[in-house]
Amino acid sequence: MTDAVVSIRDIHKKYGRFGRSVHALRGVSMDVPRGSIFGLLGPNGAGKSTLVKILITAVKRSGGSGTLLGEPIGKKETLAKVGYLPEHHNLPKHLTGRQVIEFFGAMTNMPKAARRKRADELLDLVRMRDWHDKKVGGYSKGMRQRIGIAQALVADPDLVILDEPTDGVDPSGRRDIRLMLQKMRDEGRTVFINSHLLGELEQVCDAVAIMHKGQVVSMGSIEQLTEGMLRYEIQVDRPEPMSLVSSLVGEPGTLRTGETIEATDNRLLVGTTEAAAIQPVLDAIRSGGGMITEVRTHRPSLEDLFMRAVEEDDSPGAARGKTGGQS
Amino acid sequence: MITQTTALLVDAYRELCAKKLFWITMLLSVLVVVVFAMVGINEKGMKFLVWQLPADFNGVTITSETMSPGLLYRTMFSNLAVPFWLSWVAVILGLVSTAGMIPDLIQGGTIEAVLSRPIGRVRLLLTKFAGGLLFMTLQVFVFSLLVFLVIGIRGKSWAPEVFLAVPIVVAMFSYLFAVCVLLGLITRSTIAALLLTLLVWMVVFIVNMGDGISVGIHEQLKADQRVEQARVERMERNAALLMLNEANEQRQADGLPELESLESTPSAADLDARDVRLPAARSRIAELDESIGLAGTWRRLIYLGKTVLPKTQETIGLLERWTVDRQALRSLAGMPEDEDRRADQEAAQATQDAIGNRPLWWILGTSFIFEALVLGLAALIFKRRDF
Repeated sequence: MTDAVVSIRDIHKKYGRFGRSVHALRGVSMDVPRGSIFGLLGPNGAGKSTLVKILITAVKRSGGSGTLLGEPIGKKETLAKVGYLPEHHNLPKHLTGRQVIEFFGAMTNMPKAARRKRADELLDLVRMRDWHDKKVGGYSKGMRQRIGIAQALVADPDLVILDEPTDGVDPSGRRDIRLMLQKMRDEGRTVFINSHLLGELEQVCDAVAIMHKGQVVSMGSIEQLTEGMLRYEIQVDRPEPMSLVSSLVGEPGTLRTGETIEATDNRLLVGTTEAAAIQPVLDAIRSGGGMITEVRTHRPSLEDLFMRAVEEDDSPGAARGKTGGQS
Repeated sequence: MITQTTALLVDAYRELCAKKLFWITMLLSVLVVVVFAMVGINEKGMKFLVWQLPADFNGVTITSETMSPGLLYRTMFSNLAVPFWLSWVAVILGLVSTAGMIPDLIQGGTIEAVLSRPIGRVRLLLTKFAGGLLFMTLQVFVFSLLVFLVIGIRGKSWAPEVFLAVPIVVAMFSYLFAVCVLLGLITRSTIAALLLTLLVWMVVFIVNMGDGISVGIHEQLKADQRVEQARVERMERNAALLMLNEANEQRQADGLPELESLESTPSAADLDARDVRLPAARSRIAELDESIGLAGTWRRLIYLGKTVLPKTQETIGLLERWTVDRQALRSLAGMPEDEDRRADQEAAQATQDAIGNRPLWWILGTSFIFEALVLGLAALIFKRRDF
């Protein structure tokens, strides 16, 4: 096993009993490398929050095993080195921002002086210094989220688990949070993010796991997951560009040379990363009177990966548990 | 561990201070003590501010000559302030203020953040419970302090024993708050937890009333039987005297010396022949005997039933037991000369003694066992639940 901060095997979770039970997790296994930003994504009800809650002991697993920071999951002492921001968190409204940070520091057994010093640092980090002595009840959603992140970081954790950290935060706040995540990684922390905001994750994550219906349907770095999915995108000046290259097409959707080809609006997508392979296509377009306006390589977005994984999983006879080679 | 516990208690204190109800209750406590301080006593009787109240109070003459100001204030504290204010109004306000503590803790977004810290669930729940008791502790302490000052300054008698109200009222509140914690955990609703706790309290109150009534009836029947027994003995003595007189009259006529006493014990039939009321009186004693047996059975059954419930009334009663000299108060009232009224008073005192002198282990011990069981069940649920 590599240096995994989170390592779980065949985790199951069933809620309810008798005939009305719900199988929320169906054998989830994953390893989260130390010092990475790891994204857990999936549609609502995929089991992401259940998995996170199992890690922080709020939910008991029905089966499977795993370790957190090298210790068995469920060991309370390990949580001293874990910071957690729950989804829809409800920070104590009667406390000020500083008191919230110090309260959670005390809950991790930090001495008073250390709590105070750390709170000062974190208030600066999350840019809440001017609001530190105001009650949380009067904060905006974005401000509460900043204090929420600060409380997660108070004990200088090795692993930070953030459940929907940018939920309800405006674009500038999201950028700040993104920068904070990168800073955490730079400081050597492992960040485990649970989110459905794919664009956010794509910008910061080193690796992702896509969950659907209680299972991991795809996992690995974005490069690994998109391997073999890179394509050339050729934009021409007219619609239905496929007619310009019909002489090169053999089987429908395939060039005679074997590469896939498809057309959308005024674009042709050729399934290859070899520049030489698209030269005949470009020649055919020109000779057919078409004008090429743009040629670029196209990497699928996280959203594309996500939709593909979920749709494949929903299709009849879909295979489960594909990974992109994550160790 | 100490850091976490302290943090949770400080948080509970801050939460209480942030609640308006906490300060309203505190203000009401101060007002009650101000009213308490307005009562005075002089040679004519009791006074309220400038108004003179009649000296005769429920058949007891209360003046500065029969009762010292210190005893007056202590009696008012244990007989009025504690049973009505501290054990009812303050406890209800306390429950209203703290009923939301557990439902708030276990709501989504809060509990996960706390459970993600290295703290055991059982310790978390018990510390939260202790935080709830902090409300009542602070309220009763402030109230007792003010009463202590009033008794000391107005009554010229320093009575540190009033601070016993703090542990006693907090103990009584803790029985109910444990129920509130369990119900809050099960229902996840503040309103439901509060209403159901008040319902449990009402059941305890009804059982207490039943206990008071059953003890009262039992003691009254025993006192009635004693009176009736004394009456029968008196009638029998008179009837025997009549028989002796009749015998001596006969002996006098026969020229024999008078007898000091009857030669043989007279039979019941002979006595009944001399006093026609005797058969009815004996029958009444037999009926009372039967009723005493039945009332005694009910009394024991209710007592057994009460054993498994928290003893709210008796717990509060401990304060009177430890702060007021019951005999001194009784001597103020005196004893009526009328046989029936005396029996009633004896029955009332016997009832008060029977309930008021119940063993401490039974009052506190069984109540704390109840509380421990309720909290244990709550801890079990809290430990096993997924959040």
